[in-house]
Amino acid sequence: MDLKHNGFPVPSDYFGVLWALSGIKDLLILEHGSTGTCNYNAFNYMIMNRQSPKGKLFSSGMDEDDVVMGRDKKIKEAIVELDRKYHPEMIALVATGVTSVIGLDLQGIIEEIQPTINARMLSFPSGGFAGDYTIGIREVFGTLARDIAEDCTKKVRSNDAPSWTKPSTVNIIGPTIDSFNIISDLAELERMLGLMGIRVNTVFTCNTDVDAIKNMACASLNLVTRDIGLEAAAILKERFGTPYYYGLPFGVKGSIDWMKDIASILGISLDKGMVRAELEKYGFSILELVNFLQNIDHLRAAISCPFDYSSGLAAMMRDEWGINPSLIVLPASPIGPQRLNREANFGLGKDVRLLIEPDSWTLQDAISSMNPHIVFGNSYDLQISRNVPIRIHAAFPAFDHIYRYDGTPFVGLRGHAYLTQTIVNLLNQNPEVFRN
Amino acid sequence: MSIENKCLRLSELPDDGSLAATAHAKYPGQHCSFRAVAGTVPLIKNSYALLFGPAICLYNAKLSMNMRSLTSDPRPNNLLFVNYSQDDIIFGFQEKVRVAIFQADQEYHPEVLFLITSCLQEIVGEDFDACIDEIRPSVKAKLLTIHTENFTCEGAAPGVENMFKSLFELMKEQPQEERTANILGLWTSTARKTELVRLLSGKGVRIKNVIPSYCTPSELEEAPGVQLNIVLDQYGLPLARMMKEKFGTNYIYCRKPYHPDSIEEWYQNIASALNVDLPVEVADLKKKTEAQQEKARAALSGMTCAVFGTSGRPFDLAHLLANIGIEPRAMLLQTIQPEDRPDIQSLLNAGFDPIVFRGDNSLQNEELLAELSPDISVGAFERSSLARMGIRPIVLSTSNYLLGFDSTLEVLRLIMEKPPGLEALMFKEKILADGEC
Repeated sequence: MDLKHNGFPVPSDYFGVLWALSGIKDLLILEHGSTGTCNYNAFNYMIMNRQSPKGKLFSSGMDEDDVVMGRDKKIKEAIVELDRKYHPEMIALVATGVTSVIGLDLQGIIEEIQPTINARMLSFPSGGFAGDYTIGIREVFGTLARDIAEDCTKKVRSNDAPSWTKPSTVNIIGPTIDSFNIISDLAELERMLGLMGIRVNTVFTCNTDVDAIKNMACASLNLVTRDIGLEAAAILKERFGTPYYYGLPFGVKGSIDWMKDIASILGISLDKGMVRAELEKYGFSILELVNFLQNIDHLRAAISCPFDYSSGLAAMMRDEWGINPSLIVLPASPIGPQRLNREANFGLGKDVRLLIEPDSWTLQDAISSMNPHIVFGNSYDLQISRNVPIRIHAAFPAFDHIYRYDGTPFVGLRGHAYLTQTIVNLLNQNPEVFRN
Repeated sequence: MSIENKCLRLSELPDDGSLAATAHAKYPGQHCSFRAVAGTVPLIKNSYALLFGPAICLYNAKLSMNMRSLTSDPRPNNLLFVNYSQDDIIFGFQEKVRVAIFQADQEYHPEVLFLITSCLQEIVGEDFDACIDEIRPSVKAKLLTIHTENFTCEGAAPGVENMFKSLFELMKEQPQEERTANILGLWTSTARKTELVRLLSGKGVRIKNVIPSYCTPSELEEAPGVQLNIVLDQYGLPLARMMKEKFGTNYIYCRKPYHPDSIEEWYQNIASALNVDLPVEVADLKKKTEAQQEKARAALSGMTCAVFGTSGRPFDLAHLLANIGIEPRAMLLQTIQPEDRPDIQSLLNAGFDPIVFRGDNSLQNEELLAELSPDISVGAFERSSLARMGIRPIVLSTSNYLLGFDSTLEVLRLIMEKPPGLEALMFKEKILADGEC
């Protein structure tokens, strides 16, 4: 049994539900549980870039009578209060562990109370027992794609109403408030799309609102940036025929390929002048930043990030820096049709170690036996790697790292420039790595 | 219902001090005892704690400790986690509990192993204590169980009291040693540097334990042998009562005061219980504090404030502020203790009758503050929203670790000095609120 002394208990689906819903502006979350859970959450949002769920998350304040008698008076009163006072478009009822164990029927409550409530209501009853947080995010994505997104072709055309499918408009599916480096990465994705004349309809689910989600089908393409968004993209494709493209642009080659692929799907041509200008500004190679006595091809690197970041970073490091990561750690198996393929996903040879959801002892052993020069990972990975000279926050949770400024992307051409510059600066701060 | 209808004047407070709920949908709500206990047990030296619960509770507990590790008062990393799954609920926790206890005992060799339950354990209703009694003879560590279910109460108090009471199991009959004391209810690594400890040490009184701050189990074993337990908060009171009943250890219950007259009286009571004299030292400190009070009065008189619940006696803090000319317009509290009555009366007698509001929803708190528009807010943590309302936020966290006049001097400093960055925050928030530069 891993008692997680140096690691962390993986957040459950309950958290994923909260995080996926929290980026929807006019939706309120009412969790049915004791206030302690909500109070704790006010704290845990803080570790994600000092966010706060104030005005978004509420608790019904469940007490002993509610537990023993299965009473639902409090949650109903709280629903009415939220509806009358704040007029949200939606209210999501979220079960906590206690609700789940006593078996309170949240959907039944909705069916009973919905006729008297203006907000549309949704329920998420798993209460933290369905699995890890990615399952909760997928549950929310699936529900919204299935039940909330509307068929744009049925909307009446007018100047102020969304019309049918808009050419060169995309949805970005995947980012949620827990996503590492989300502010900078989204800014870069939107910037690159803007360079191609593509407008972002909405980000599913960051800084979005119920109306934007209803109108998702108006976009001509869904861009999936995280494997946990693939199911929702598939649902939208099935319901509305919207094609989707999956991938995050890492490095110069990855970024140009990403732009070319999207342009091709949307039938637009890439402006060569724009591409040239971008490459001149952001496409500098690591060779242009190191001198001839700074050899880096011997460096050992470990990457401990979710699948999309791990595969992208590994490819960039291998193809553009000449550093072949020796250890890849995934917090969970990748989701979706691509499944896990060492060669296709990471270009891994047999000498490269791949760990999936390792316990903290296994991870600690792997790091110490490999003795890397560079580690990309979450705060716990970096704590375990105290003796590693170059440690870069690159994954959730990052409780000791703030990424609110929008100018530090990891993805896209600016992400390539930022990471390449950062790694060279860190190498220079630790010149011993050039020698051993 | 408007906010006003949910408020009471202090003079209208019912005799039992109860405050009516002000919202059905609560945010953030009171924190739970699981959180409080998980944050406290790392203070006991040579111990580890096994936390039994769903990932919701465990993940949050770990993060809280990690965030704490980045502060001036980090807690030792002694938390271990046992995640309850759906299968455990259906088939029972006992085997998992047993395996975890043996593993923790063998891998970490703690002198004491705290076993902390969560709501889930209590709802499922398995006899946790019986399970532990069965395991107890087979492990080296002393097993101390702390029940922390949150759905049976509105706050953290019962669980924290359970934490204190669990320490009682370590204690043994001791010969009483004159001029020794324990302090109960101070949570900090700097507990032994406080003014109270300094003054008592100067009179030859040895502080044997500050419970729960960095005591070893063997020190706790000897804790009943002191002349006096000085109980600083309500959470330590049940333990003090148990020690009195079983070992005859005397105690004095004296929550942390703020007003200089109250502090003087507080010291007099403690000194009297220990048969020592402190008048000269106390008089000097009081004089220094009163001089600082005068400076604060000159700078701040005529201002208004809202006071949020803080460590010690909140109405005595309000009285201190009133005394320097800052009118307390509102007190935002979750609970009022019976011992607050004399302070409430003092505040009323001084001519102040603030609104008392149980802030169940912080958006409502903001509505109230917007309506009252005080100049400063004392004790709240949400700096941005206060700054946007043009209210100067004053966070008292550094004074929470101090006692006596030291604490009041720190409060006065915090009120008079703007923390780094506040000017810029207020500047930005004003532009955002007004919509123009």
